[in-house]
Amino acid sequence: MKRALFAAIFALGVLAAPAARAQSGGVTLIKNATILTVTHGTIEHGSILIRNGKIAAVGKDLKAPDGATVIDASGQYVMPGIIDCHSHIAVDGDVNEGSISVSSMVNIADVLNPEDIDIYRDLAGGVTTANILHGSANAIGGQTIVIKLRWGKPASDLPFEGALPGIKFALGENPKRSNFTPPPGVPVRYPRTRMGVEETIREAFVEAKEYKTKWDDYNRPKAAGEQNLIPPRRDEKLEPLVEVLEGKRYVHAHCYVADEILMLLRVAKEFGFKVRTFQHVLEGYKVAEEIAKAGAGASTFSDWWAYKMEAYDAIPYNAALMTDRGVVVSINSDSGEEARHLNQEAAKSMHWGGLSYNDALKLVTLNPAIQLGIDKRVGSIDVGKDADLVIYNHDPLSVYAVAQKTIIDGQVYFDRERDIAQRAELEKEKKALLEKEKKSAAPAERKDEKKPNGANRPPKAVSF
Amino acid sequence: MKTSLRFGCLVALLLTALAAPAWTQTATYAIQGAKIYTMAGPPIEGGTVVIAGGKIIAVGKDVKVPSGAKVINAKGLEVYPGMFDPVTQLGLQEVSAVAATVDVSEVGAYNPDVVAATAVNPASEHIPVVRASGITEALSVPGVSGGLGGGGGNVIGGQASAIYTSGWTYDDLMIKKSVAMSINWPSFETRTFDFVTFTIRERPFSEVKQAYEKRINELTEWLDRTRHYAQAMEKGPGTYQRDLKLEALVPVVQGKLPLLVVANQARDIRNAVEYCEKQNLKMILAGGADAWKVKELLKEKNISVVLGPTERLPLHEDDAYDQSFATPGELNAAGVTIAFASFANEFSRRLPYYAGNAVAYGLPREEALKAVTVNAAKIFGLEGELGTIQPGKVANILVTDGDLLELRTGLRYLFIKGVLTSQENKHHQLYEEYSKRP
Amino acid sequence: MPQRMMRRCVGLFAGLGAACALVVLLFAPATRAQGGEPRSFAIKGARIVPVSGPTIEHGTVVVVNGLIQAVGADVAIPPEAWVIDGKGLTVYPGLIDAMTDLGIVSAEAGPPQGGAGAGRGARRQIVPSEIAMGPEDRPGTTPWEIAANEIKPDDKRIETWRSAGFTATLSSPKGGIFPGQGSVIDLAGERAGEMVVKSPATLDIAFTPVGGFWSFPGSLMGVVAYVRQVFEDTKWYEQAEPVYAAHTKGLERPVYDRTERTIARALANKELVLIPGNNDIQIRRALRLIQEWNLRAAIYGAQQGYLTVAEMAAKKIPVLVNLRWPEAEKDADPDADVSLRELQFRDRAPSSPAALAKAGVKFAFYSGGINSPRDILKNAKKAIDAGLAQDVALRAFTMDAAEILGVDDRLGSIEPGKIANLVVADGDLFNEKTKIKNVFVDGQRFEIHEPERPKEPPKGNMTGKWTLNYTTPEGQESSTLDVTMGPDGTLSGTFTGRRGTSAISSAWLSGNTFHFTISITMGPAPTDVNFSGTFDGNSLKGNISVGGFSTEFTGTRPGGGMMAAAEN
Repeated sequence: MKRALFAAIFALGVLAAPAARAQSGGVTLIKNATILTVTHGTIEHGSILIRNGKIAAVGKDLKAPDGATVIDASGQYVMPGIIDCHSHIAVDGDVNEGSISVSSMVNIADVLNPEDIDIYRDLAGGVTTANILHGSANAIGGQTIVIKLRWGKPASDLPFEGALPGIKFALGENPKRSNFTPPPGVPVRYPRTRMGVEETIREAFVEAKEYKTKWDDYNRPKAAGEQNLIPPRRDEKLEPLVEVLEGKRYVHAHCYVADEILMLLRVAKEFGFKVRTFQHVLEGYKVAEEIAKAGAGASTFSDWWAYKMEAYDAIPYNAALMTDRGVVVSINSDSGEEARHLNQEAAKSMHWGGLSYNDALKLVTLNPAIQLGIDKRVGSIDVGKDADLVIYNHDPLSVYAVAQKTIIDGQVYFDRERDIAQRAELEKEKKALLEKEKKSAAPAERKDEKKPNGANRPPKAVSF
Repeated sequence: MKTSLRFGCLVALLLTALAAPAWTQTATYAIQGAKIYTMAGPPIEGGTVVIAGGKIIAVGKDVKVPSGAKVINAKGLEVYPGMFDPVTQLGLQEVSAVAATVDVSEVGAYNPDVVAATAVNPASEHIPVVRASGITEALSVPGVSGGLGGGGGNVIGGQASAIYTSGWTYDDLMIKKSVAMSINWPSFETRTFDFVTFTIRERPFSEVKQAYEKRINELTEWLDRTRHYAQAMEKGPGTYQRDLKLEALVPVVQGKLPLLVVANQARDIRNAVEYCEKQNLKMILAGGADAWKVKELLKEKNISVVLGPTERLPLHEDDAYDQSFATPGELNAAGVTIAFASFANEFSRRLPYYAGNAVAYGLPREEALKAVTVNAAKIFGLEGELGTIQPGKVANILVTDGDLLELRTGLRYLFIKGVLTSQENKHHQLYEEYSKRP
Repeated sequence: MPQRMMRRCVGLFAGLGAACALVVLLFAPATRAQGGEPRSFAIKGARIVPVSGPTIEHGTVVVVNGLIQAVGADVAIPPEAWVIDGKGLTVYPGLIDAMTDLGIVSAEAGPPQGGAGAGRGARRQIVPSEIAMGPEDRPGTTPWEIAANEIKPDDKRIETWRSAGFTATLSSPKGGIFPGQGSVIDLAGERAGEMVVKSPATLDIAFTPVGGFWSFPGSLMGVVAYVRQVFEDTKWYEQAEPVYAAHTKGLERPVYDRTERTIARALANKELVLIPGNNDIQIRRALRLIQEWNLRAAIYGAQQGYLTVAEMAAKKIPVLVNLRWPEAEKDADPDADVSLRELQFRDRAPSSPAALAKAGVKFAFYSGGINSPRDILKNAKKAIDAGLAQDVALRAFTMDAAEILGVDDRLGSIEPGKIANLVVADGDLFNEKTKIKNVFVDGQRFEIHEPERPKEPPKGNMTGKWTLNYTTPEGQESSTLDVTMGPDGTLSGTFTGRRGTSAISSAWLSGNTFHFTISITMGPAPTDVNFSGTFDGNSLKGNISVGGFSTEFTGTRPGGGMMAAAEN
């Protein structure tokens, strides 16, 4: 419930008070922290200076400028905000337009829900940026968007400024609907095999290329001044695929087994586009060489397996093995819950496969930033980058670490102390509202009628 | 060192290479110089554990090592009892989405006669995976699936079996065939999922309440019939017509077999507690997402809680964001005995991390260790043989290179029933195979 | 009783196969037009609230041939006029309910060109031919359905709305994403054509997924994408059509598409596009899409407008506020953990109109599924209690509604030349004790009789969800009655049977006898069905009568009465 109040406070603040904005333009110094920069090692007893939402300085002996807000992080750890490369939070309505095999006309950006409580929960787990994906019900799914978890702000303030949009592809059991049967009356949808998944994608790109040609054929004479031309129709389904072909939109492809990974790489080559990330990619370790060579990223789970047939050869060494072969790997959540401990999921790759500490840290910071094309802005603690940071009370790669503060653009969006302090008050507000409601819902006393007195009150009991 | 686990595996393989199959051999071992968490007292620094004949025969600071014992120098290492995962579908389920590999829930709502052990596949790929993470005992529970409980329409799911995570056969695996009767407490399902439209629909409360009461009346009828049946049984065979389902319920109504009640919402927990008290049944709560709301009641009625995965979202929007991590600590502080459970084979290896997270949010570490070892043994009446490092107990022992609850800790040696057991498994095999891919 | 109605009752009977010729009507309508009334009236010496100008404390309104001829403190009364003594009475412009499906009896629009059709009543069996596999299948799309063409003057709700002071509504076809075009209608008339004031007036859009999981669009984002594609297609049609018309030779013929054509015409016609937006997220989304699609639009819903007023004011988008405020479900789980967010919404929703008014956003009110029109004003009163000025509330029901719907040249105020839609009440309209005495629609006078009230205090409480069982010529049937009882025994709620859902009217419990009437569609038109009998605290027993046919029924309340505990 604290989140609801935060939402209200933030919403009002954003609209009414320019002061709230000014705060982000203010100066903050985090001092005495163990700083995990990701790009240039660990700084003990270090400080981070934040100005205008950006990291202005990182070092050992920074002084707080006058008027700066100082956060004393003695004994605590600061790492870059966690980036979740596969999330379905903050979506209003279904995350799947599951009806059709190519649903590229739908766009997550149209249905962002800034009040989804999972935003706050994930923020409390140190996540600052998430790649919000369409579901995996279709070979080509909907358009996707990268957001910052600016809890309390309206939907229009969530998108990660300048991040390239994406599109979800899905291979394997989900698009071919292996694990459920449609109800009576629903015809079986094409495809039902991995062969058909390939053909569905190829057909869509053939269409997209023809569509592009049609527009070129229209635009050329049009530019030459020819009148009386009927333009082609705008096709909301094919426009994003043209963007993929033009490199203006990333492909994030849900996949599991090795053969389908190679299939998509062949299709991409045939049509001349790039696969930006393979998502889940639980058999990525079998074809890591090929993924690396294609320059695709891999965003996987830490240790999930066996929940379906295509996850039966999944191994927790996947992230380490792919990293060893030169793939840029991230660990994602695919779940509002799992996102709350991605730091721990990253740590597991040290156990399973022996990644170095810094390589493990990269799995949820710099690597997903690279995969999403936002590594110039986030993913490490470097001067000039966005001040997206998490402060933990312990080493974040320990099971005992608890996020204390999560900062986005230099603003504290989650503060554990404040959360705990506000619990009682919010409980009180809730109780008061419930009581108020109960009172007004109770049948109103009849004011115009006398309350029964002894004379007409029915007898309590009648006995003979 | 590339990976502590790999190192552990190598050592284990070396030690057992000459004596395959490993688990038929019960040699004498002395683990020396380790920090020993006996779970029956304070940790022993630089202590020794002696294992012989499958049992722990000695533990302490100054223990004499029998001649002929294989000595394991465990200086700098830590020793723990093996972990016990008290709700799994181990051996009953291979790939949850593939029906042919799933033997969890029988048809019909009442199946007290089915026994998990019957269908536990000793060759399941899950078993070696799970034991390589230090799980040495598990309850395989019929009728309970998924993190939030609720089987395929089962009310009474069947009898849960306690098994070792190593063994060639039914008999090898068996700790105890029947340790609890699983029951999915009928919940007030005000929301139903419509498979035609793929939408969630709200049902009127009065309708839901009626459905609930109908279920409870059915359950009562089963118990009443069982009591009559138990009376008839006393008159001796041949005097009554046998009914396998009622026969299976007799130990339940006699209070000999506890009910493992899966319930998560506070109301469901309260209803279950009240019902079991009225019916004079021994109850263990499983799941317990809302258990923090009824901790006083659970303490008062002395009901232990087998917690569902704490890596779960709070049940309600307004619950504290960290409620699921904080619940173990809150229950423990209220004096309720808790044990962590995975509820799912695939996540059994996360058991120590559930406990570790709980420590981060307030559960004392020692209690967290108990909650993955001895508490489950106690809750299911197996503490005579399992759960601690004490002479006479079955030698299920872990030797680790660090804190058992930490993410980066590796398992160096794994003893199950006194046998130095291989940590090799499907995952490691694939890792080896593909790391060698040219 | 018009003869037409009697014939229908007989026909209905035959349809049911019951051999009974005698038509018995148990309950006369509460309101009726007076026969042989003159065409001109003067309400004299009344308090007049013209809305377009200051209140006249003692004035006269003259109505001639359906129009307002004169209004003022001192106006001449034509000699032929029927003079009504307005002493102690207040005259208001007739109220406008700015979004309804009044008069449209089948709650559904015609069969769509595709779409599995969820949202028009859950359908268990999916019909393969209705499965849409993309925008080109035009799921849930019937923009050509125009309310004016569907109006049934004998929809019982027309009369109940009128009795509560409503003289005009925007009526719209229901169901689907593009359900059709709305028409402004007056709430009186023998024939549909007489009722229509402006048609078509609006192009309605709903963002409700129609496809379930299996048919496009099955998700909210699918609906948004679909509507976007339709507007793109319409734009294309607008460009392509004239080019082709001028150069048929040598150009590929544009494919005929009824949807594109209809919407293009509606947009050219400057019809107001209605876009849904109830909570803050939806409102902001609507604002963004209205801009993206460059629409002349209004947002309907707006109950969480208190969070978004600034943005709404900045965009100058008019708003239709749904007066059916969010509240707890009647049969909700008492232990359910209702979120603070939801509680805040329920608490603050009625403050939205005040916030909108303060920010200068123009808005009208609509009933939004309120079953009993008396509750419409009651709920408006909640907005007044939450800070809305009373005169602004009145404007939202009159002048502002007329302006938003583009009929302010003929409706919305008491001005000479406008349509004579008036409400005559014995006090302030927003006072609960005020009684409406007369309603004028198109200059036709309707005298309002108070609905039949229970005579005795109720014995017990009928609130709850009832299952009613009975036998009809078609066999055994069972229906649901979802009812709330007021302290005086008045009942309100809905009845759901196999023919659909209907609000109950003339409904009360008096002593241990109860009565309610529903209006259902049997055969071609709506018909009254009366239920009456006795209530013993736990069960209902009585008779159902439709015309002269009658049958017995029993009712049980599964799960017990919600209010049983409140009885002691």
